[in-house]
Amino acid sequence: MPAAWVRNTLVKTMATNLKPVDVVVVGLGAAAGVAVLPLTRAGIKVTALEAGSWMQPGDFKADEIHNNVRRRVTTGTKVWDEIPTFRTGPDQRARQGAAPTMMNAVGGTSIHYYANSWRFHPWDFKVRSETVLRYGASAIPKGSTVEDWPLTYDDLEPFYDTIEYEIGVSGKAGNLQGKIDHKGNVFEGARRREYPMPPLRDTDFTEMMQAAARKTGFNPHRSPAAINSQPRNGRSACAYHGYCDTGGCHIKAKNSTAVTTIPAAQKTGNLTIVERAHVTRILTDDNGKATGALYVRDGREYFQPAKVVLLASYTYENVRMMLLSKSKAFPNGLANNHGQVGKHYIGHWANREVTGLFPVDLNIWYGANAQGVVVNNWAEDNFDHNGLGFIGGASLTVNHEVHPIAASAMPTFGRAPQWGSKWKKFVSQNAGRWLGVYAQCNSLPYENTWLDLDPEVKDKLGDPVCRITSGPKVNEPRASAYAAKKAEEWFRAAGAIEVITVPNTEGPNLSTHATGGTRMGPKAESSVVDPYGFAHESPNLGILGGSTLVTHGARNPTLTIQALSWRTAEHLVKNWKSIAG
Amino acid sequence: MKETPITRRTILAGATLIPLTAIRRAEAQTPTPLAPAMNPAMNMEQRKILDAFIDRIIPKDELGPGAVECGVGDYIDRCLADYLAAEKPLFLDGLANLDVFALRTQGVAFASLTADKQDAVLMAIDNSQAPNLRGFFNRARRLTLEGMFGDPVYGGNKNFAGWDLIRYPGAKLAVGPEDQSMKSAPKPFRKELYGAGGMGEKHAGENNGH
Repeated sequence: MPAAWVRNTLVKTMATNLKPVDVVVVGLGAAAGVAVLPLTRAGIKVTALEAGSWMQPGDFKADEIHNNVRRRVTTGTKVWDEIPTFRTGPDQRARQGAAPTMMNAVGGTSIHYYANSWRFHPWDFKVRSETVLRYGASAIPKGSTVEDWPLTYDDLEPFYDTIEYEIGVSGKAGNLQGKIDHKGNVFEGARRREYPMPPLRDTDFTEMMQAAARKTGFNPHRSPAAINSQPRNGRSACAYHGYCDTGGCHIKAKNSTAVTTIPAAQKTGNLTIVERAHVTRILTDDNGKATGALYVRDGREYFQPAKVVLLASYTYENVRMMLLSKSKAFPNGLANNHGQVGKHYIGHWANREVTGLFPVDLNIWYGANAQGVVVNNWAEDNFDHNGLGFIGGASLTVNHEVHPIAASAMPTFGRAPQWGSKWKKFVSQNAGRWLGVYAQCNSLPYENTWLDLDPEVKDKLGDPVCRITSGPKVNEPRASAYAAKKAEEWFRAAGAIEVITVPNTEGPNLSTHATGGTRMGPKAESSVVDPYGFAHESPNLGILGGSTLVTHGARNPTLTIQALSWRTAEHLVKNWKSIAG
Repeated sequence: MKETPITRRTILAGATLIPLTAIRRAEAQTPTPLAPAMNPAMNMEQRKILDAFIDRIIPKDELGPGAVECGVGDYIDRCLADYLAAEKPLFLDGLANLDVFALRTQGVAFASLTADKQDAVLMAIDNSQAPNLRGFFNRARRLTLEGMFGDPVYGGNKNFAGWDLIRYPGAKLAVGPEDQSMKSAPKPFRKELYGAGGMGEKHAGENNGH
């Protein structure tokens, strides 16, 4: 019996039908958390269904075990039931990951993220055409399904600007309307105005690493961060206490959507938030139009009808929801009659490959992860790739915020064993004298890498979890290895006495920067959503989140996800009659 | 942790059998780490093996107390009693296998060996001479680090001795520029995180909405 039939029958017989609303949002996190603002400001009535609940400053602890070991900064157990499975080839049985990359709470992952808030580089939007133009068609990595985005950096620039000002981002412009400033990222696309706040606190460490990078001929700059470097909009500046990573902010200085755009949307009176709502299906009529969302809350089932549905959960959950939502119009999953849902998935190739030991205390215990220094010389197409055998590259970041357990688990650089008195002496000297370079690669979609439903592992409601199949790659490991050599140079210039490199050849298992799977594009044959984020096959279904990205930049994706979300919402406001029909 | 299997059908049947909230509430319950485990996860024999193990990983020496003195055994026991309950059988098997390996290679149970002989046993595991103990060794070492360098509220890092050892300055709520300098070491801050003036109750708000 097709699941969709079961679902529809249940709606008629069991679920409580609620009063229709204009827009129902599935997941109120980093993405929908910004989209609800332009919608509600325009007078559109929005109901947001969120699997988690509100978190308060008192929920956030300066506690490594709470945050990083046990990963307790979430309000729901749902994420633990839905951890995707992973395998590296179609003949394997996939195994479930150890910890979730998702988050249940109002504000979602923007509560516990590092808050590194990057614009993607103009090249990221045109990887295929730029590569063919400069290096020829054969330079496109074998097996990659990469396409140009259906929009350019310039198309998205106004929305990047809007998000930077609406949520508040600290940073320094490197390209202000074409004028290059070496204090900022000289490689970035032109921006219309300066960041609303200066970068986070400069320290002896950030100065040391910038000086070393300059000495090496690189162009370092400070990380852009969605963290207040100064008081803003009634909230305080960062207190630099060192428990930002995978934790929430105890003084609301991290600009998650839960303290910025969501409260602003609530003030319009047009936003209803339903906490602890576990959405199970999106329903459609026989013409393929989305009719609303079915959810379970406190053991009861409800159907929330709406003129427009915005699916806005984490990439794995967006794809899973689409594949689970089968119906007469969509027997293979919602908006999947062209078989594109789950395809073009990208696990972000990002890791700390290069580790250095320094002869002095770095004192990087405190501060925020986003209190960093970044080198972009070896990312995107910022250098000549002729003869290198790969395209793209990696951004290189060093940062503050080291926790004591993680610090003590340090490599011993061949200078001591891993336990015993000699080890104890070694860590007593060196736990505060080492760090790794975070290398984030430009990452592409491939034929051998996709998402679907796991045939065995199910959540508590009996629905299959998402399955990741990720085959081997050649381009990303080469790019990463190339950038690692540059990171080694950087560390040597900074005075490191030992530098070791563990090549990142495998890529991610579960990815904290999971993207693609419902990518945007001009046509239904090769993408799921149109250039504005609405499904080709179900035009009143919008998709927000990392799943719509076409390529992954050499940097954290959230600001791009948020800019796209705002753009989708604005498009909906402008075209309400034709979309909501 | 056996859980009542719940299917879509039981929920959708509408029923009163097992409300979903009850199940969620049960899952969300975590005994506070402030309280000692009511029922230790390990018996005395197992605890003896563990204490002998962690004592060799981080021994007491001229640099200060070791893992045993810092309460790392209590940390691991509490983990196995609640947060890591699912892992407990595997971990206890590991302890038993460590003893078997010590008996086979040294003729004496692990905890009864001299420190030098214990080191020889661990060295052999570290050198891959006991493949069945590799995973246990790594896991037990990792938990030892967590207990030694995690917040004292979880039972280990007694008197902040772990943080003193590696010169971690301490968890506090606001940090000025002077504490992020490389020119002078930050002043150690050694107050209970969850006590008065700290961040409040350990689990305040953790179950909000559930």
